[in-house]
Amino acid sequence: MSRVHGPWFALPVGLFLAAFFAAPIVIVAWYSLMPPRTFELSGALTTANYRAAFGEGYERPLMWSALGAALTTLVCALLAWPTATILHRSAGRWAGVVTALIALPIFISESVRLFGMSLFLMPGGGILAGTLNALFEVRVGSILNSRLGALVGLVYIHFPFMLFPLLLGVAMVPADRIEAARDLGAGRLAVFREVELPLAAPGLSIGCLLTFVLALGANAEAAILGGRAVTVITAAIEQRFNYAQDWPMGAALTVLVIAVTAAVVFPVLARVPLDRIIRR
Amino acid sequence: MQHDRALRQMAARNPLATPMQHSLHRRRFLQAMAAGAAAAALPGTAAAQQRPLSLLTWDAYADPRLLTLWRETSGGDIRYEIHISDPTSVNRLRAGETAVWDFINVNNPWARNVMWPAGLIRELPRDRFDPLYAQMKPKFHMPYKWAMSEDGQNLLGLVQRYETFDFVVNPEVISPQLAKDEGWSLFSNPDFAGRYGILAYEDWNVMDICMGAGVHPFKVKTDDEVARFEETARLWIQNARLITTDFVQLNLAILNGEIDLYFTGGTYTTAAARLEGVTELYAITPASGPADGKGGINWIEVNSVVNNPDLHPQAFDFIEFIASPDAAEIIARGNGNLQPVSQMAQPELMSRFSADELAAIQWDEFDERIANAVEFDIVPDYDRLYDIYSAAMRMRG
Repeated sequence: MSRVHGPWFALPVGLFLAAFFAAPIVIVAWYSLMPPRTFELSGALTTANYRAAFGEGYERPLMWSALGAALTTLVCALLAWPTATILHRSAGRWAGVVTALIALPIFISESVRLFGMSLFLMPGGGILAGTLNALFEVRVGSILNSRLGALVGLVYIHFPFMLFPLLLGVAMVPADRIEAARDLGAGRLAVFREVELPLAAPGLSIGCLLTFVLALGANAEAAILGGRAVTVITAAIEQRFNYAQDWPMGAALTVLVIAVTAAVVFPVLARVPLDRIIRR
Repeated sequence: MQHDRALRQMAARNPLATPMQHSLHRRRFLQAMAAGAAAAALPGTAAAQQRPLSLLTWDAYADPRLLTLWRETSGGDIRYEIHISDPTSVNRLRAGETAVWDFINVNNPWARNVMWPAGLIRELPRDRFDPLYAQMKPKFHMPYKWAMSEDGQNLLGLVQRYETFDFVVNPEVISPQLAKDEGWSLFSNPDFAGRYGILAYEDWNVMDICMGAGVHPFKVKTDDEVARFEETARLWIQNARLITTDFVQLNLAILNGEIDLYFTGGTYTTAAARLEGVTELYAITPASGPADGKGGINWIEVNSVVNNPDLHPQAFDFIEFIASPDAAEIIARGNGNLQPVSQMAQPELMSRFSADELAAIQWDEFDERIANAVEFDIVPDYDRLYDIYSAAMRMRG
């Protein structure tokens, strides 16, 4: 293929991205500069919405979302590393079945899964509490409608987004490299720290990115399992667009979340050798 | 057993069912889209006739029996989308979806105070639709304020379902009479801190908090009244056991003993479960309150024709259709729910409801509840109050 034709072949994708990715972000950014509670795009430009975002308690929802996303990423990584290692090294032909079992829930609506979890965790007549009471006469409390409930929901929903990139990462660690390290006297921790972690880092980074970004924008977990014990930033944004009828303020909060996301994503992406992962 | 029923109710509301339903309609819609190129060459009305009648509606109007009855009556097809809240749907029309929908139903103030002034809906021909009001409960006889534009000149829609929407108690813990007498102060009582839930229909929550603060929700507030609102909002939101947009979760929480009461709620949130034999749910309208002596709020659903530039030719026919006894009966029982309709003044329709159904909607005290309630209206200081409410939400936790 001639290099001259490259831009022409890229043109449809470029136009698609411009129309359906860049343009909506530009419109949202422009809206964020409109006077509060207006529906026009031609008002006088103002930074009032951004000032309100920093002065009216929105840092708290943003903090809960960022904290929830960070904890979710950490817990998912801790759970996914051994899972991915076992699947890669030991599961053999069952690896496909186990992977499919983990992947299948992704094809079911998130709300359905969360409502299912809610029925499981419900106190009194819930599946867990009811079964324990009926079989063993053990009465247990419930984490439903609490911050912990929301975090469990976040981990439950986002675990596959960490696991699958990590599987790719773990597969990038050659077995002979680990054997060589052991032959040279490295202990388990040293092998993990000096060999496995650096070589699997691209997969781990992508998994962390996906999990963090998706969890940062998550709303249903705090609503369905958390009983809104905390207000996350997406719920605050929804409130502005919906009941407050304040599109500019909602847009300003959206731009801030995009900025936070970009501040996390771009530095990490710059360090990840995407080419190396894709060419595998 | 009652738990089983509640769980079945939750399963029946499985969101998976909705995409499946929609995919059927989406296919039809796509077929209509495929015919779009040909239809584009036709005059406007002919093109509109090619597509299904499009409803932006509450779930009762998406009941398969209603769609079938319409198909048999008119020969036409329907595409629908169930909406989430009044403001969201009004937003969508504002954002240009008047070109998508033919029919919308929202609560009473939105048609008169927002959609009509913004040019989002069309007026109904009075010679055709005024007679339908004469067949309704006397409360709705013409000139009925919420069906008309502010200048009283234009008929904006057809009223149908209505009720009071205040709070729900477990009558085995709090006697209904006590709840009516105590009214909104129950939620400020320290004994019930952590024992109640909030159904996050947020514009309703704002009105309820006004009532709890001793403030008329539909009158302009003084600074002192706003301060009382803020104090009540913080207390109620902080002390709530759970806050959710799903009333089934709240009903289950009452059944599980997690909470004893919740706001906002009423027949809409309790009737289906009560009909299934759940006795732990009872809709309460306070006997008195700060709104001209009343403590309840009465919503009335207004069905309107969207100001679609390429309006479906059967849009007005559909409005007339839903007032017929057969259609009104289906809507009253729409999608497994149970809700009084304005046409229940007609003996023919009334006779179709069983004693159990009437007990489920607490029909014996329905007129009393309506009498103890003010009609849903626009809250004059809504922006200020909502900002206080949402700030209290952000502070929770």
